[in-house]
Amino acid sequence: MTRYRYLFGQLVRRELRRKYKGSTLGVLWYLINPLVLLGAYTLMFGHVVKVQSIHDFPLFLMNGLVVWTFFQQSLLSAAESLIDQGALVRKARFPREAIPGATVTVQLITFCALLVLLVPVTVAIRGTFGPALLLVPVLVALLYCFVLGCALIVAVLHAYFRDVVPILTAMLLPWFFLTPIFFDPRTIGFVQSNPFVGTLLEWINPVAPFIEALRAILYNGQAPDWGRLVYGFAAAGLAVLLGATIFRRMEGDLAVVV
Amino acid sequence: MSVQPGEVVLRDGEVVLRDATRSFSVRADQARTLKGLFLGRRAAGPAPVPALQGVTLHIEPGETVGMVGRNGAGKTSTLRVLAGIVPLQSGEAVCGGRIVSLLELGAGFSRDFSGRENILLQGALYGLNKAQIEQRLERIITFSELQGFIDVPVKTYSSGMFVRLGFSIAAHLDADVLLIDEVLAVGDEAFQRKCLRRISEQIAAGTTVVFVSHDAGAIERVCERVVVLDGGRIVFDGPTAEGLLHYHRLMGTEHGGGQSLRPDRDGPGEDHRNHVRVTELELRDALGRSTSFFHSGVPMQVHVGLRVPEEVSQGWLTLELLGGARRKPR
Repeated sequence: MTRYRYLFGQLVRRELRRKYKGSTLGVLWYLINPLVLLGAYTLMFGHVVKVQSIHDFPLFLMNGLVVWTFFQQSLLSAAESLIDQGALVRKARFPREAIPGATVTVQLITFCALLVLLVPVTVAIRGTFGPALLLVPVLVALLYCFVLGCALIVAVLHAYFRDVVPILTAMLLPWFFLTPIFFDPRTIGFVQSNPFVGTLLEWINPVAPFIEALRAILYNGQAPDWGRLVYGFAAAGLAVLLGATIFRRMEGDLAVVV
Repeated sequence: MSVQPGEVVLRDGEVVLRDATRSFSVRADQARTLKGLFLGRRAAGPAPVPALQGVTLHIEPGETVGMVGRNGAGKTSTLRVLAGIVPLQSGEAVCGGRIVSLLELGAGFSRDFSGRENILLQGALYGLNKAQIEQRLERIITFSELQGFIDVPVKTYSSGMFVRLGFSIAAHLDADVLLIDEVLAVGDEAFQRKCLRRISEQIAAGTTVVFVSHDAGAIERVCERVVVLDGGRIVFDGPTAEGLLHYHRLMGTEHGGGQSLRPDRDGPGEDHRNHVRVTELELRDALGRSTSFFHSGVPMQVHVGLRVPEEVSQGWLTLELLGGARRKPR
């Protein structure tokens, strides 16, 4: 496996540059797109359809949005990755995990770049500087493992069953609205009168605890509660384990199907 | 490559196929859908085509083996199985050391990236690290004769430049086992000769070579042993001259395509009494042994037996060699 470290690096570099090579702004597009999205959502959910009154709404929103964008973009690009790189898969024997892994890593780089912009701004405006910030890298690592595991599954499944991407696309939209990105489930009236809905929103959706933990640190200036951290560890571990197992079991015929 | 417990540890360059079996589904839409999965496994369609049916083959390090057979006999499948790209359904396929396949030369290049960057990526694909690739970089570039183009995106390359780069990379990875699939039709004739020379160098250095080709001449020059495949099975495994003979017999071209060289082919109903009849026809080698396969540059004796109805005072016997279009004169 270590033999292929250099291959992994090459694949990441190639993926990073492939999409925007030849365009003037190049890799900067990776940052511009989420920022435009942020502007649109701030306008939409902060002013047009105002769900709740939340202080510093763009910061609140951005906290959730960066995590969600990382999750969604990773899954969608990983799902197509094995087919896009079919020529490599058919050419030689190498750990094929490297291909979806590289696409997720490219998304991670974007995610980290956005955090580098977001964290100082949020901390400065919200005044949330404190030792809890040390947990941010831990959260990012856990999220990466979680997303990587999921990406391995959708990538190998989509290579065999081409319905996976349409299904995924259809799932991601309602999933986005049910994820506490632009609302805080605890302060919604309906949720307060029906506590189990809050539990569903906060714990069934595996993306939610990551968003809420990050938001606790950056936006509220508190350490995230232990439940969410443990959940993060469990989700990351389980996803990687499951992803690696399914990928190993199914990767055999990849060169035939892609 | 990690060695599983119970697996035989092979010497570098050793190749073992044991009872290798593999078939391929040939449905038009290769990709199955979830619907198909839920509704009774596989929908109606042609049965899977067996590509390999119990192929057993043992190649010693340093051997050069040619693989021949008609289209669909399982030659490329064998290579893909050996390269570890396609798994077997049953049986075992193991190679010792680094396996480099010259399959689909030039495939897997990133069109927007320069030749140099593609060399790095392709090298990495075979498990080389940065230092190992950079150490070979100059030799690869020189061999490919692409010095002037190495830093421009490969999408500007001609198809000949593509395969030249592909061959140059594969030929400089220090393979223990080199799998070559009908790729020597690379570039112009000078470059083809260079490729063959490079392969010969690697053979001299002890690389095991498995060589698939329809070009009997190339096989003859490169290989000492020939495996003839037919319908996914090995039908011959032995010395090259004999193997190629077997191959030609299989292809129905044992007389080099000269079907008209058969005695007594006169059809019925015609009055032949006044015609000259060919009663015997045989090709022999320099030692007078009957054969129908000849190496280039080797003497050939043609024995023709004729029956003539009456005494011929003056006659001509004309021999015409046809079908030379496939093989270029050397």
